[in-house]
Amino acid sequence: MMNRRMRRAIAGTLALTALGATACTDTTVEPKSAVTEANAFTSPLAYQQFLARVYSGLAISGQQGPAGRGDIQGIDEGFSQYVRLLWSAQQLPSDETVLGWGDVGLPELNTQLWGSANPFLVALYYRVFFQVSMANEFLRQTADARLAERGVAAGLQAEIQTYRAEARFLRALSYYHGMDLFGSIPLVDETFPVGSTPPQQATRQQIYDFVVSELTAIIPNLPASTPQNYGRATRAAGQMLLAKVYLNAQVYTGTPRWSEARQAVEQVIASPHTLDPNPRRPFMADNHTSPEIIFPVIQDGVRTRTWGGMTFIIHASCGGNQMQDSNFGISGCWWGLRMKPQAFSRFSAGDGRAATFFTSGQTVAVASIGDWFAGIPAAKFSNRTSGGAAGSDPTHVDTDFPMFRLADAYLMYAEAVVRGGGGNPALALQYVNALRERAFGNNANNITAPQLTLDFILDERSRELLWEGHRRQDLVRFGLFTGGTYLWSWKGGTQAGVATAAFRNLYPLPASELVANPNLTQNPGY
Amino acid sequence: MLMRRFGSYLALAAGLLGAAPLAAQGGTGTVRGRVVDDGQRPLQGVTVSVAGKTVLSSASGRFVLTEVPAGPQAVKARRLGFAPVSQDVTLLAGQTLDLELVMTIQEVQLAEIVTTGYGEQTAGSVTGAVSQVSTEEFNKGRIVSPAELIAAKVPGVQIVDNNEPGGGLAIRIRGATSINASSEPLIVIDGMPIGTSNGGGTSAGRDALNFLNPNEIETITVLRDASAAAIYGANGANGVVLVTTKAGKARQAPQVEYTVTTSASEVTRLPTMLNADQFRAAVTTFAPNNAAQLRNENTNWFGQVGRTAFGQEHTLAVSGSSDRTTYRLSLNYLNQDGVIQPAGVERIGIGINLSQRLLNDRLNVKLNLRGARNSDQFLPGGLLGNTAQMGPTQPVFDAAGVGGFYDWPGNALTSPDNPVAISQLAVDRGITFRGFGNVQAQYSVPGIEGLTANANLGFDVTDVDRATFDPSTLHAQRKTGNGGSTTRRNQSLVNAVVETYLTYNAPGKVGPGALELTGGYSYTRSSSNELRLEANGLATDFLGINGVPAARVAQNFQDIQESKLISFFGRANYNIDDKYLLAFSLRRDGSSRFGPANAWGMFPSASLGWRLSEESFLKGGAFSDLKLRASWARTGNQAFANYQQYVAFLPSDQGTSYFFNGQFIPTIRPNAVDPNIKWEATRTVNVGLDFAFKGLPVTGTIDVYDKETSDLIFTVPVAAGTNLSNFVTTNIGSMRNRGVELGLSIRALEGRNGGLGWTADFNAARNQNELLSINPAAVGAAAQRILTGEVAGGVGTTIQVLQPGSPVNSFFVYQTRRGPDGLPIRVNNPAGANVASDSALYVDQNGDNRINVDDRRAFRDPAPRWIIGHSSYLTYRKFDLGFTLRAWLGNYVYNNVASNLGTYAEVGRASPYNLHTSVLQTGFAGPQYLSDFYVEDGSFLRMDNLTLGYSFDLNRKPARFFITAQNVFTITGYSGVDPTAGLRGIDNNIFPRARTFTGGLSLRL
Repeated sequence: MMNRRMRRAIAGTLALTALGATACTDTTVEPKSAVTEANAFTSPLAYQQFLARVYSGLAISGQQGPAGRGDIQGIDEGFSQYVRLLWSAQQLPSDETVLGWGDVGLPELNTQLWGSANPFLVALYYRVFFQVSMANEFLRQTADARLAERGVAAGLQAEIQTYRAEARFLRALSYYHGMDLFGSIPLVDETFPVGSTPPQQATRQQIYDFVVSELTAIIPNLPASTPQNYGRATRAAGQMLLAKVYLNAQVYTGTPRWSEARQAVEQVIASPHTLDPNPRRPFMADNHTSPEIIFPVIQDGVRTRTWGGMTFIIHASCGGNQMQDSNFGISGCWWGLRMKPQAFSRFSAGDGRAATFFTSGQTVAVASIGDWFAGIPAAKFSNRTSGGAAGSDPTHVDTDFPMFRLADAYLMYAEAVVRGGGGNPALALQYVNALRERAFGNNANNITAPQLTLDFILDERSRELLWEGHRRQDLVRFGLFTGGTYLWSWKGGTQAGVATAAFRNLYPLPASELVANPNLTQNPGY
Repeated sequence: MLMRRFGSYLALAAGLLGAAPLAAQGGTGTVRGRVVDDGQRPLQGVTVSVAGKTVLSSASGRFVLTEVPAGPQAVKARRLGFAPVSQDVTLLAGQTLDLELVMTIQEVQLAEIVTTGYGEQTAGSVTGAVSQVSTEEFNKGRIVSPAELIAAKVPGVQIVDNNEPGGGLAIRIRGATSINASSEPLIVIDGMPIGTSNGGGTSAGRDALNFLNPNEIETITVLRDASAAAIYGANGANGVVLVTTKAGKARQAPQVEYTVTTSASEVTRLPTMLNADQFRAAVTTFAPNNAAQLRNENTNWFGQVGRTAFGQEHTLAVSGSSDRTTYRLSLNYLNQDGVIQPAGVERIGIGINLSQRLLNDRLNVKLNLRGARNSDQFLPGGLLGNTAQMGPTQPVFDAAGVGGFYDWPGNALTSPDNPVAISQLAVDRGITFRGFGNVQAQYSVPGIEGLTANANLGFDVTDVDRATFDPSTLHAQRKTGNGGSTTRRNQSLVNAVVETYLTYNAPGKVGPGALELTGGYSYTRSSSNELRLEANGLATDFLGINGVPAARVAQNFQDIQESKLISFFGRANYNIDDKYLLAFSLRRDGSSRFGPANAWGMFPSASLGWRLSEESFLKGGAFSDLKLRASWARTGNQAFANYQQYVAFLPSDQGTSYFFNGQFIPTIRPNAVDPNIKWEATRTVNVGLDFAFKGLPVTGTIDVYDKETSDLIFTVPVAAGTNLSNFVTTNIGSMRNRGVELGLSIRALEGRNGGLGWTADFNAARNQNELLSINPAAVGAAAQRILTGEVAGGVGTTIQVLQPGSPVNSFFVYQTRRGPDGLPIRVNNPAGANVASDSALYVDQNGDNRINVDDRRAFRDPAPRWIIGHSSYLTYRKFDLGFTLRAWLGNYVYNNVASNLGTYAEVGRASPYNLHTSVLQTGFAGPQYLSDFYVEDGSFLRMDNLTLGYSFDLNRKPARFFITAQNVFTITGYSGVDPTAGLRGIDNNIFPRARTFTGGLSLRL
């Protein structure tokens, strides 16, 4: 028989071993240094902060400035910023711009030779949908039931209704970009839960209808254009977006909407925005004070930093041995962006809008895309204020990106009128001449009514809105972006320019997206 | 609930209680005693038989046989690998005879004790693919990190260091099994698993084992196949490395050992850049605008930042034993400079191993304690890159320059920085304190013969302090307007382990064979608290890394990471006459990293061994041992980031607020998650053969394996709009590693009586990796590709791809059209630069008549097809000579220095860059980053190690003098710095490999 000591020893051993085993079987460890879904909205400020993030999706690339904790993956984070990608897609293949760097996928954007794996186009597509996803999540988190569940105060609930309209504006804005660039894309709204199955592809018409109906529904709920609301989606911004969609409706749906475009633009012009008496200020570090800007993407050298956006445009517009970086309020030039000769030669002597063009040591012709000294840098944007002060940081700029501004609305009005959208031709002429008077500093270069043709408007748009991210869309609307009617340097890959196929009016859907979402059909030609 | 989980566990214990022995009766006696080897170490599992009764010896070597008939008897002891012993005794009725049976090893390769997870086994009865390397076989010379000890020694184990002394080091056992989780094996030191938190235990970018003095390691055991590793469940998929440190030996008089070594290292291969004349010619021809900037010096920039690096190491160890106590204390000091200034490492380490037997030897308590302070000097960022870029026509010093250093005029953003200034002014250093230890208690439970209770309590505490400082006077700071910057990173890591388990060696046979059971519980908790500070625009440079002055921008971060792993495990080994060997194990792991729906995972294994040489039909044959092994196992990998299952609303930092309602406000962003995230699962099948020949001094082993990893933790694109980002980390995709491994050991010459002795080891392993799928739902659609492998040149340029059907990280490049000379075809402009258009230079893979990034293809990959190692050890009289050779075949390397600087465009920058000499061959006018011309065959043969020793007696105690050369020579066709350029095969300004000569003396005092 075992003695007591033995039994005690056995029992003790087993008890100790079992104690170890019973000590813990709970594997849960909640994050400590992170705010989870469970407690994110305990603060009433969270709704503002989340909406601000939907806005900042246009301005920054991640939650760490200038780069870090990126929003999207698969591309260098600095490249992944919304404005930089949008701007590159609208400018580089056009007759206005070349970018001389050899980064993978970049050279082919200058020449309309891109394919469906082009990293910039892939990232642009995902940027569009990142905005859509953020807006959808905001709408889900602010649904009435969720607000009631969290016991949100009535006053805040009312304010959140405005926020929801703004989120829907931002979603519509990105769908407009997606429709403009990629054509038929999925239509995902807040009714699709996170982690849902791949959505169906919508037609371009369906996206168009969605954007129009959304804007029509929310414009009354958007905030007014006041200095306090600078940077937010105001009613004027909503009308401007609607006008843009109508102006390009023929491209999107086959049916022109000139009259609707003209009416929406009239609303914009009727808003408190006015032309800036200083024609340079809308492009400088203090452009947040310009009355002309209807919808900016805000940047700040210290508080809203990115390697994309205006930081990219201003740094890349500077180079060579003669341009002084400090003249632009920056430290260090990136030697990238110049004009194609067609854009440069569109300006006549005395046009103040050409005053910043830096010609010394540069050739007009672009013999080589990679050679900084081939092509004239436009140097339109600056990180110095209209008063000459440098921005708050020499690397990251204070200059906001003027996505929509009143001068554009003036030219859109003129175009809608000339294209038969009704309205007042004399007013159209007056608007165009207002821009020319501001540019030349006198009325000697004003045009007459017969001179206000579509060709003139297209050229004037290039002069007034040079490098502002409109050019590809304009050329597509005028039927000149592809084909052989209008050739420019490096169109199709040669310096003289060759005709390109019409399918390049649309960008390809990303090759990776076709795999992730088997419901999608690639755009023809790719 | 809980009880059910332990049902079998308790049932086992209950069953054991009934097995208590009965008291002796009349007419019989008791034979009991201890079986030991000739070094007095107790032998477990020895079959002791007398008068038809059989028993197995316990862990302490003890055995008891009762009811043995009185009279003369022969007591026989038998164990695999040992010469059988028979002792005649005469037993009186009622007598209890005490015996000590001493057994001597007959066949080393069978008798050797092999460490396994939660136990040990004799090599002859192991059923998995397990390799053990011990002190005398280790690589010699200046070795900072323990894993280098077994480089080229174990088949299928790839060890890749980054050439820096004490630098990061990667171990791959049978190829990479993961893409986004870690592919590093689990490392267990004296029973204490380390690094179970993601990256936990690492110290500021250095190898996690640097705290451990390699001289203090007794054996390193690699569990290569999954059946051996499966007892570690969700940490076992990448294989397991078991490290056993040296302990005091039983019955050993106190002994003091002292070893001193000094070393000198020189740089071997460097990037081949243009010399001053070539550089001047390139600038004058291709960027005449820049010619005015050139000076007339002839500076070898690599020579300026390089140096002959010296090192020294002292190890003092005191060991010994008393009756029931063994101890070993060690003290280690190492100081090794790197061949590029100011790289270097300094370490002070102590170690204590203490073992105490208590309670009539029933309780054995072992204490292992290690403490170390590592001081690392890292190369400041950009040093090597700027050394390559800096023009050789320019001077190092310039009296008019800031701080007396020369800088290119114009202060352009892209101008190279003077590397000598970086080397001398910038600081990047880390100090790591590491305390590591555990207490193991092993208790032979009285009353139940063969039952042992084990407890293991361990801790691993790391405190890291990393600081960088770039003074405002540095060119890089001035040109960016940064104005001086400093960073601090303080991280505390704590890892605590509690493990309890029972082992039961049935004292008699259970059925036809011997049974051994192990079952237990393990609890690991890891936490990390990191504080980080980054400051730019410093008010003064005066404080250096010793203070943080007022700064233009200062940001602080804190990050707490915690994780838990809770496990239940069990194993059964069944051995029928050393002929049929069976092993099963099962582990159930719960991890805080798994989503609630998948909180627990089950990881089983089964293996069997058949010693054919024991069968009658082979007994008279050529084999002294022939064992066929087969195993199947499922292991897991949970070495991925914490909190993947939680939607976090990530706040913006102060640089990413947004202007809303009249002010800049912080923002919050929800991240994309998969709430059901779980372990990666690896299924492994292994078939192996161990063999030894009669009359031939050759033993060997062959293994064939197939590993398939599914549910890869993979960050993959998701359908746009369906989640909160375009990529989500989820369990998707699968990959496979298949291969064969061969190990041979030849005692060619015995070297008796001071004659020539020669032992040769040879190993070879072939592994083929293939990514099977990324998104199984996308079958039939265009192949999904994920780009990876960022390189220098352009921004965000990637050179590798993950795509089904290709090995992971295959290079993803254009196929270059080549002329008859094998070089890329040329279309020269008047100046002589190659301006061939993309369509002339590259093959149009998709046939759309234009060359764009869609024309890249997967081409070669960085993993070697074959890894071959050879070690020889020769002795003659008092001399010994050892060397290690290593070869990789079929590994490819992207020569990034050549692709980035091998174009005349680079002399056209605001300040010209020096060019890589490949431009003289290609003539490229512009960069061709994606050309397969830069993907080079990195196959090589290298003599890693050559040691000559001389043994002699000093004061009648053994002493040895030795000299070692490391990295003696490398034969390769690769043109860059080092064909082992990391696991990713990207040679981009990597630290050059040093050739090191070490001389040393070992003494006993």
